[in-house]
Amino acid sequence: MKRSQAAGWLFTFRAMLPLAACMLFLHACQDDELCEDVRANSLRIGFYQAGDDTGQWALVDSMRVFTLTYPQVPVYDMLQNVSVLELPLNPHSGGCAFILDFFHHRDTLWLQYLRETHFMSVECGFTLFFDIEELTHTSWHIQSATVVNKHVSNTLDEHVKVFLPADNGGL
Amino acid sequence: MLRYFFLLTMVAYSLPLLPANDTLFAPSIRVGLDVSGLARHLLEPEVMDSELSVDIEWRKNHFLALEAGLVSVNVDKESHRYQSDGFFFRLGPDFNVLGRGDHNPNDLVLLSFRYGYGRLKQEAPFILISDPYWGDFEDALDSESYQAHWLEAGLGLKAEVFRHFFVGWALRGRLLVARSSRTGMDPYIISGYGKHSGSTNLMLHYHLMYRIPLR
Repeated sequence: MKRSQAAGWLFTFRAMLPLAACMLFLHACQDDELCEDVRANSLRIGFYQAGDDTGQWALVDSMRVFTLTYPQVPVYDMLQNVSVLELPLNPHSGGCAFILDFFHHRDTLWLQYLRETHFMSVECGFTLFFDIEELTHTSWHIQSATVVNKHVSNTLDEHVKVFLPADNGGL
Repeated sequence: MLRYFFLLTMVAYSLPLLPANDTLFAPSIRVGLDVSGLARHLLEPEVMDSELSVDIEWRKNHFLALEAGLVSVNVDKESHRYQSDGFFFRLGPDFNVLGRGDHNPNDLVLLSFRYGYGRLKQEAPFILISDPYWGDFEDALDSESYQAHWLEAGLGLKAEVFRHFFVGWALRGRLLVARSSRTGMDPYIISGYGKHSGSTNLMLHYHLMYRIPLR
């Protein structure tokens, strides 16, 4: 076989190769798609110690979480050594409120948000993303709370920082 | 990004690609079918992407290409129904950066630039989002139109496997430059652009083509 002929075949082979790669890639994407992860859209709250600039999470010994809408149904019944909370925003309404029960004190967080419908994929269907417009809270135990990322989607971003006092029994 | 797009276009245009000997050059038209849409349809039967292309070699190693097609998505599941139908076209130049050898004079390595436009109509008559705490949420999206404009640049190969019959692939990077202002929701697939997951996108196309010499 002449050298130029071999080069021609090699070129043809290179031209055809990506089809196989494309098929494998598409197949891999389908297999790896986990709908629960894709549809997850919780508000992520991180607890911090007021006055601590290190950015390290604070640890809350124990707490419970309820909503104002269904106070008899806990979102979390008993959490221990908590530094990050994932809270489900109400898809039926443009706002909701959570009661954070630190046992010795209770605080309420009110959230107002916009809802966006997103089509995730053929298999997984739809989910809602949220854009936080307003956050207010009581201050029995919580010193302050700030929205650090307004967009609540299926990423692992932290959305709200809650600052707690350092000199209390909960920390 | 726009600056680089035009800069690349100008650089490619001014490249001295071959020794100047145009006496043997014969203009040609190549018509093609993008089979990557069919391959995708096998894996995701709800999505049908049909695309035809035509390019003309108006000057040696310089091509003007038009790609156009239809995209439809039709999903009917227990938890959601979604339909969209749209069309698109992409227009722009290709430049062959491979010198033409004696044995395979029609094989090409192409640097491509395109302007793309896609338009679609979408609706989701039934949406059910299950929520273990708040309860299932039902929603619907009325029929709405959506359009988008984008720029793309890419690299590809075309090999003549039989006389006048080519196979080839093209890897394209896309930059969404304008789109409809949001009303209901972003479409699942923008016709001709691909999955809507941000303002950039990368796609691989696979073509079967037939070349028609013009003289």
